[in-house]
Amino acid sequence: MKQRTGVVLLATFVSVGAWGQDVSAFSTTMVQVRKQDTPGFPTATLAPATEFLGIDASGLGIDALTLHLYGWGYKDLADASMPRGKSGGDLSYAYLEYRFGKANAQLKAGRFSISQGGGVEQVDGVSGRTDLKGGFNLSAFAGAPVHYRTAQDSEQSNYNRAQDIIFGSRLGLRLGPVGELGVSYLQEGSKAPKDLSSPPVDYTRKQVGTDLRLAPAARLELNGHTLFNVASQYQAPGSPALDASKVAEHDYTASYRFSPTVALNGNYTERNLEAYYAGTNLPNLFRLDEKDKHKAMGGSLLLSGFGATDVTVDFRHIKRDSYGNSNRFGFDLRWAVPEAKVRAGGGLHKVNASDALVAGPASPSFYGLSRSEARAWVMVDRGKVSCSLDGIFYHFDDAANPNLNGKASMSQLVGSVGIHPTENLAVSGDLSCGTNALYQNETSVLLRTTYRFTVASKGGSK
Amino acid sequence: MIRKAVLLFLAAAFGLGLMVACGAVSPATSFAPTHPQELGPGRPMCSTCHEEGAALEGAAKPYTAFNHTAQFVKDHRFLAGRDSNVCAACHAQAFCADCHSGKTMMAPDVKLGNRPDRDMPHRGDYLTLHRFDAKADPTSCFKCHGRADNDKCILCHK
Repeated sequence: MKQRTGVVLLATFVSVGAWGQDVSAFSTTMVQVRKQDTPGFPTATLAPATEFLGIDASGLGIDALTLHLYGWGYKDLADASMPRGKSGGDLSYAYLEYRFGKANAQLKAGRFSISQGGGVEQVDGVSGRTDLKGGFNLSAFAGAPVHYRTAQDSEQSNYNRAQDIIFGSRLGLRLGPVGELGVSYLQEGSKAPKDLSSPPVDYTRKQVGTDLRLAPAARLELNGHTLFNVASQYQAPGSPALDASKVAEHDYTASYRFSPTVALNGNYTERNLEAYYAGTNLPNLFRLDEKDKHKAMGGSLLLSGFGATDVTVDFRHIKRDSYGNSNRFGFDLRWAVPEAKVRAGGGLHKVNASDALVAGPASPSFYGLSRSEARAWVMVDRGKVSCSLDGIFYHFDDAANPNLNGKASMSQLVGSVGIHPTENLAVSGDLSCGTNALYQNETSVLLRTTYRFTVASKGGSK
Repeated sequence: MIRKAVLLFLAAAFGLGLMVACGAVSPATSFAPTHPQELGPGRPMCSTCHEEGAALEGAAKPYTAFNHTAQFVKDHRFLAGRDSNVCAACHAQAFCADCHSGKTMMAPDVKLGNRPDRDMPHRGDYLTLHRFDAKADPTSCFKCHGRADNDKCILCHK
């Protein structure tokens, strides 16, 4: 979207918001000051001021028509904090939505995020959904994909032209209490660019997805999806025939509730990198010529109802063909006493991972990736005053890991104090200090002001 | 030319589909766009008020499926992909944008440093830690950074 178009759209949407009978405007302004002292780099003082602004409005002449707008902008008050300059911003979403009284039908127009099947996309366009007779439901969207920068500026125009349109659809079938099945399709781009330095490649993205939710018993539930990459793949002249799977991803979770307070969960994920990475706009990092495969499986046991405490014990095993194995296990606690307006939590985890190969030297050498993690936090919210403390600590088994710059541990402590002079105004300040591999010592201060203006006639606020 | 053809095809399919679909649309009443009562702080358990096993009309799923347990927070992608309008009954879109805004210069854990109770990606010094996690599982980066929010990525990954 061109900047001028964005400004016109923004002004239109803001003025449309003023017509609404129910309007909620929310603003968060933050100023952060941080001294960045990295060995080998000049010292920098970073002071970005950031504004997040959103508006939700309903009753725009028609009861079922609503407006939603959200964006952010920043300006550096000292050195540049971002690689592309001292100021910037983005319109995250700005759309009109119409909700029908029947069939949970809705239409959206503008810039919005859509999560449908396996795809999560940001689109400038239109979308719609409705329930159909017989338990079916149908959703679809079409428009222009919101573009992001590519790694190489010189290829940006080619990339934009190749990905000029995005559309998708999902057909679902609800099987009553037993579950739901869905099939979806997503395509981005209608033609391949012809003037790239590399040989012509089908940069269009074509993805077919199936998803399911099965609950054969009241306490048992299976959720998941499988995505297939159905675009033709680039094959370099003279290279061996491609043997990569069309399956981009399997992602499934099963859960069984023994009782309202005890639940067991298991999950399985499999991803074939070449198919999974199709459609990336960072191809030098998420390499489309990868033939690697990744599998992960794990589980967790959730115990709740011990007074005010929830306990989650978890385990996850990851296997990557080109690397090795990694196992993460541990537990998390959450504790809440609503009467005292206190919440707290924390956890301990251990990661046992295969050693990684050092790239470059003629004789192979390895470094360790295993570590221990600990976290503890507490929050008190007593209406007019709130405060929180959050501490994180990592200890690494192999201090000789070149990524650690000789530091065997990292820590960070964030303290926050806030006041709420009125129901709609909150001011808070965060002080963060820590030590890590990149910065010998890191301290930052952040001041946050949140303001909400609401004119609502009914219902709970969001 | 191809773009025009695709758009024409979509328009024709939409028109034809609309005619057929009007007779096929469910006559059921839509559920409320906003939760009728204000919810308290913390993660809500729908089954605290709604009958255990009862189905949420319009989603054809039991209320327990939407209980905000620790596992629900980890797996919310599945329900958000099918029943985003159920999420919208309580959450404004901005709540999702705290993590899923697609492009932002401020890490979610910094933006919400006063909310340690919310599960945020990349707490602590993740700039160092991502070198560890990406070795074992580079696909975990792709969900958020494979197509968006990569202005920072290209500083090093050129």
